[in-house]
Amino acid sequence: MDTSSVKIILQILHFIFFGYAFAAILSYIILSFISIKETIEYSKKKSFVNYKDILSSTISPSITIIAPAYNESLNIVENVRSLLSNHYVNYTVIIVNDGSEDESLERLIEAYDLEKTECIINEKIKTQPLRAGVFNSKNPAFEKLMVVDKENGGKADALNMGLNMSKSKYVACIDVDCLILEDALQKLIKPFLDETEAKVIAAGGVIRIANSCVIKGGKLVDINLPKSLLVKSQILEYLRAFLLGRMAWSRLNGLLVISGAFGILDKEIAITVGGYDTNTVGEDMEIIVRMRRYMEEKNEKYKVSYIPDPLCWTEAPDSYKIFISQRNRWTRGTIETLKKHRKIGFNKKYGSFGLISYPYWFIFERLAPIIELVGLIYFIILVFLQEVKWEYALSFLVLSYLFSMVFSLIAIYSEELTFHQYKKKGTGIKLILLSALEPFALHPFILYAAIKGNYDYYFNKKKKWGTMTRKGLTSTQN
Amino acid sequence: MINYQYIYNSYNDLPSLIKLSWFVSGLLILVIIFMSIYLKIIRHSIRRKCEINIKFKAEYETSLVSYLYSGDDSGKLTEAQNSIIESLKDSIKIASKRKIIVAVLYDLMNEISGEMSVSIKSFYYNTGLMNYAYDRLDSKKWNVVAKSIGELNRFRIEEASHKIAKYINYPRPEVQREAQLYMVNLFLFEGLTFLDELTTTLSEWAQIQLLETLQKFENQEICDIRPWLKSANDSVVLFALKLAQIYNQFEVKETLMDLLSHTNKDVRLSTINVLTHLYGIEAKDILKANFNNLSIEEQINFFGLLEKLVMPNDEPFIEEQLFHKNFEIQLIALNILKEINIDKYMGLLNLPEKEKSRAMIKSENKL
Repeated sequence: MDTSSVKIILQILHFIFFGYAFAAILSYIILSFISIKETIEYSKKKSFVNYKDILSSTISPSITIIAPAYNESLNIVENVRSLLSNHYVNYTVIIVNDGSEDESLERLIEAYDLEKTECIINEKIKTQPLRAGVFNSKNPAFEKLMVVDKENGGKADALNMGLNMSKSKYVACIDVDCLILEDALQKLIKPFLDETEAKVIAAGGVIRIANSCVIKGGKLVDINLPKSLLVKSQILEYLRAFLLGRMAWSRLNGLLVISGAFGILDKEIAITVGGYDTNTVGEDMEIIVRMRRYMEEKNEKYKVSYIPDPLCWTEAPDSYKIFISQRNRWTRGTIETLKKHRKIGFNKKYGSFGLISYPYWFIFERLAPIIELVGLIYFIILVFLQEVKWEYALSFLVLSYLFSMVFSLIAIYSEELTFHQYKKKGTGIKLILLSALEPFALHPFILYAAIKGNYDYYFNKKKKWGTMTRKGLTSTQN
Repeated sequence: MINYQYIYNSYNDLPSLIKLSWFVSGLLILVIIFMSIYLKIIRHSIRRKCEINIKFKAEYETSLVSYLYSGDDSGKLTEAQNSIIESLKDSIKIASKRKIIVAVLYDLMNEISGEMSVSIKSFYYNTGLMNYAYDRLDSKKWNVVAKSIGELNRFRIEEASHKIAKYINYPRPEVQREAQLYMVNLFLFEGLTFLDELTTTLSEWAQIQLLETLQKFENQEICDIRPWLKSANDSVVLFALKLAQIYNQFEVKETLMDLLSHTNKDVRLSTINVLTHLYGIEAKDILKANFNNLSIEEQINFFGLLEKLVMPNDEPFIEEQLFHKNFEIQLIALNILKEINIDKYMGLLNLPEKEKSRAMIKSENKL
């Protein structure tokens, strides 16, 4: 290859990197505008909503909360108590003890006065068999609670067992260690009941980070910004992802994921499509994509809704090791889902789902870490070859950094003008500083985890969930 | 010292793309500085607003409670009451303070009853608060109109009904809903006449709110719901079905029979449920005759009806469905058979394994 050919190839590479970065920034700008518009609209609408009526209504739809638990004996009793204190009337709680090897079941039996009951399970979705059986409480105060003890099959399998057991029209799938606010169900069920033009098949809310928050009796009583830079950075990342990204995608009816930490699904459709996929680590995203695909193929009008209210608070990883393991799993989940449903991508048969949502996820979520890594390697090679045009490199680096800061600030604004959860004095300045630090404190690790996730997906097939050691939200209380 | 001329010259010598990039960066720095300062201002103003609200709320609460307790039995405003009204008139001119006063008034209205609530209403009239709400009905902003209807509803201002009636079919669902709730809250079942003209879809959420509003009142004498059961608007039919169930409308059974062949599946499903609730035994023969043409959901609902209203002469039909392709129907059929003929039921469980349905196998395991 002569020098001119090399130069042409290099020029093409430069344009690819530049074009990609430009398209990414442009898409964030567009999504920011859409999300701001949607947030304003949502706030206006919300000011008329009276949630009290649904609480006393005898015709409010039934909801089953399905909470899979695996070796959660440390906090399971308190977590279940929190689930049972929801204000919604017509709901039941199914705890699926997924083959725990600790004393989870014994603790539940003791705390809630459980007794074994015989019941016939309509196994619409194949799951691992029951182990100790199905338990209900002898105490009428806990009549809403059912505990199902089954052989271990993973989170998706446990959720499928819950789907089989549920008698409700809607199922709220949650992580048992999350703190669900008392008014969460009535708020999240509203989109299903309010929409008249299309069938709402799933709805999700914002997930917030509860590290350092004070929880008493299963209720969130004081919201604090944690000291750890890693956790603080994740708070900012969540704000950006939920208040900007998902809000905008919701407006475009292009959401591909409802967080597994808390979301409500239309049970009938979830079962019709075959329930949760037990062969993926990203079961929450996969089921939404499959439900959407089903509705598209049926040619029925549908919607995946999202509300920006902070309804669910979770514990974020506070060590880089656990954080990387979590993001590694998220990456593999995304790859698995997008690969499994690749038929949708760029397929006009699936409308905006196939032509906008899927391609966006593929290009800006799936490919982003790979393109970034290739870009970095290429940059290092250029440094060694002393071929870097520093005036370009420096100006683009500064520009992208400043854009990332602006997007973070927009997310902070969105939070301040809507829910204003971080009320304490001095938090504002901390959040601004965080928007400057976060690209260094979090992004490199996200990139590393995503690359590792790609590697594990292709070369380490045995890797499944990985460990997520939790300290427990309740340990921070009182 | 910074050599600005040198920086300027260097900038001008740069390629256009880099010039643009630094220009945008400069703009972004300004935006970041502005946003950071403004964020501080916003946070401060939110805190301040919150403090002011608390202060004024306490202040107005005191004034309004004194207003309520300064009244006498004559039904007219006393001098003390008039003076409180005059003292608050200036505050009412300011939108933010007006909002607080309305909120305090509404809270008080929820806590008291009888003469005192009349007193609150006269405060609402005499201070001119009603006129503010009334004027806002003509606003071009949908949220302002909806809020104003909501306020007139809370203070039960009947005079606004003609003006509010025109919002029943307003394009924004939030405005529609406020208008519908106003009608029902003030005129109860008579207020439901808006259903005659409703062209938009009544959402499930709106239906729940209307039913809850209706059930708050002592007078539960419902009007004739038949016209709504025959409405061309399916959502009105579904709402009327809920009324039929909640208010035990046995007299509409005949109309319900017609709805079993409605074109909308949701209507047919709800009708079966309502007939189950109303002991609509007459529906059995119609549904049995048409059973194979029903959707699975309708068949399941019909079996729900049979579970409640089964008679010995239904046994042959039940037996036919013991091997239905749907597990739920198999199971209900088996349970019904157990109720009406336990010997036959036990006999089925003793059948060879390969001749049993899934429901029979599961039921046997349970035993």
